[in-house]
Amino acid sequence: MNATAIMDPNPTVLRPNDMIRTAIDYIMENRYRNLPVVDDEGRYLGSFGVHCLLKNVLPKAVTMKHGLDNVGFVQQTLADLHHRLVEIEDKPISMCMNTDAETVAPDTPLVESLLVLYHARNSIPVVDPESGKLLGVISYWDAGKKILAAVE
Amino acid sequence: MHETHATAVIFGIDPMWYAGTLFVLTYALIVAERLNRAIVAVSAASLMVVGGVLTQEAAVQGIDFNTIGLLTGMMVIVTITRRSGVFQYLAIWAAKRVKADPWGILVMLVLVTAVLSALLDNVTTVLLIAPVTLLITDELKISAYPYLFAEIFASNIGGTATLIGDPPNIMIGSAVGLSFNEFLINLAPIAAVLLLLFLLPLYFIWGHRLEASEDRRRTVMNYREADAITDGRLLKQSLFVITLVISGFILAHKLKAEPATIALFGAALLLILDNLPRHIEEQSDNVYRTFGDVEWTTIFFFIGLFIVVYGVETAGILELLAERVLDLTGGDRGVTAVAILWVSAVASAIVDNIPFVATMIPLIESMSADFGGDEQLMPLWWSLALGACLGGNGSLVGASANLIVAGFAERSGQPIRFLPFMLMAFPLMLVSIVISTVYVYWRFL
Repeated sequence: MNATAIMDPNPTVLRPNDMIRTAIDYIMENRYRNLPVVDDEGRYLGSFGVHCLLKNVLPKAVTMKHGLDNVGFVQQTLADLHHRLVEIEDKPISMCMNTDAETVAPDTPLVESLLVLYHARNSIPVVDPESGKLLGVISYWDAGKKILAAVE
Repeated sequence: MHETHATAVIFGIDPMWYAGTLFVLTYALIVAERLNRAIVAVSAASLMVVGGVLTQEAAVQGIDFNTIGLLTGMMVIVTITRRSGVFQYLAIWAAKRVKADPWGILVMLVLVTAVLSALLDNVTTVLLIAPVTLLITDELKISAYPYLFAEIFASNIGGTATLIGDPPNIMIGSAVGLSFNEFLINLAPIAAVLLLLFLLPLYFIWGHRLEASEDRRRTVMNYREADAITDGRLLKQSLFVITLVISGFILAHKLKAEPATIALFGAALLLILDNLPRHIEEQSDNVYRTFGDVEWTTIFFFIGLFIVVYGVETAGILELLAERVLDLTGGDRGVTAVAILWVSAVASAIVDNIPFVATMIPLIESMSADFGGDEQLMPLWWSLALGACLGGNGSLVGASANLIVAGFAERSGQPIRFLPFMLMAFPLMLVSIVISTVYVYWRFL
């Protein structure tokens, strides 16, 4: 058994030029953690997730490398955070795409695939190592369903 | 030649040629920045020993423990202290004292950065102040550029003021046996003057047109600086140890203690205070993290350089160089002092000032006889310190702190570019050297 056995072969995908507004709609409506980003030929480019949205509603000085690790002194309202989100809504998702997210190959063994999922704490893309094409996505839910449905 | 030199040099090459070539190569590789500078220094140091210029014993003698101990000790103290959040507290407190007025904040952050740089190392200072700066400028919806630019200057000028402010001072103080107080008396006044004068161009270039709306200023005024303190107990312990260490530096002469001893004693004391209440397993994690935060690359860079320079010194090259310098300056002490000031300033703007100072120290020491004793060298030491520290302002690569600030600027989307920075910074640096020249003449010659 390998990665293909537990993946969703028809995942929702984003294009690099999609607006962040579009991604927000998908993510909020379906409660996705992250979505794979592919080019016109279906090649995997990276992943865009709710983590990026959270990052962008926080002050930059907090999320940057060597940034502030405690902002207990900052008093901001939900309106302030909303304002920050509005500022990026019309930007392409590529501005905050995670290009070094963990991926697995279709022939990655089952347990190894689950271990990657465990460490990544995010849905993991299944990518063909030769063509670079996205073949599917393994989410907690897909994997869970398959495991629950398995009989001896 | 020192008695400790080894006799056999590999392939029978003249030690002077071998050491000299190695030295030039080391410099070239550090400037080229293709290989990490610590790797370059440590490799060159081992080649000094392998090549037979120095025995291992001699190499260890070449390492100035006072510099290494002082740097490491202060790094440990700062690493523990910063976790208390006191530095953020200070920056926010300062911003609120001026009612979050943009120009007022610029002046306050310059002062805070300068004072902290005088007491801590510059890299740590800007690592702590730059993120708060970005938070505040972001909140005020104003450009962070003038602030970050000013903090680079403030950190280098502040660092000039004390023995522990900047590595060149640590090295000079240690080699010559100059005390904390001597640095304070001789360099702090000129550093204070330069800092205040620096506010003038700052005001005319940026300050007079910095504006923020009442609304935005109110959000900064709403910051509760007390909440920046994450660990009150640690704060008290850290401030206690820092006060103790600084008092130790001031009284070092009476206590007959070396600065390295005082810094390492302070580090040990703070480690005890921080760890004693913790469970033994938690202690290992905590100590691991503390020591992990010490900048070992810098420490090993120093160790390597000391050995390389000692090798060159042992081979007799620096004495030759010193004679050349004296030929050029006609053996006049005033001319030599000013030449050292200007050459070190320009050199430090372009290359790392640490290897430069490491080389200049033995070179100046060997001029002692020509000028009639060690006492006569004092103007040269102050010139070297002023030139090497202030020269760091000349370009973005002039000091490590500059690069750290540039990194923050880049990540905040308001990059500080090499050339535009230099076009403004280099002339300003030269002005500070002109003022320093006048000071050296007036005060020391």
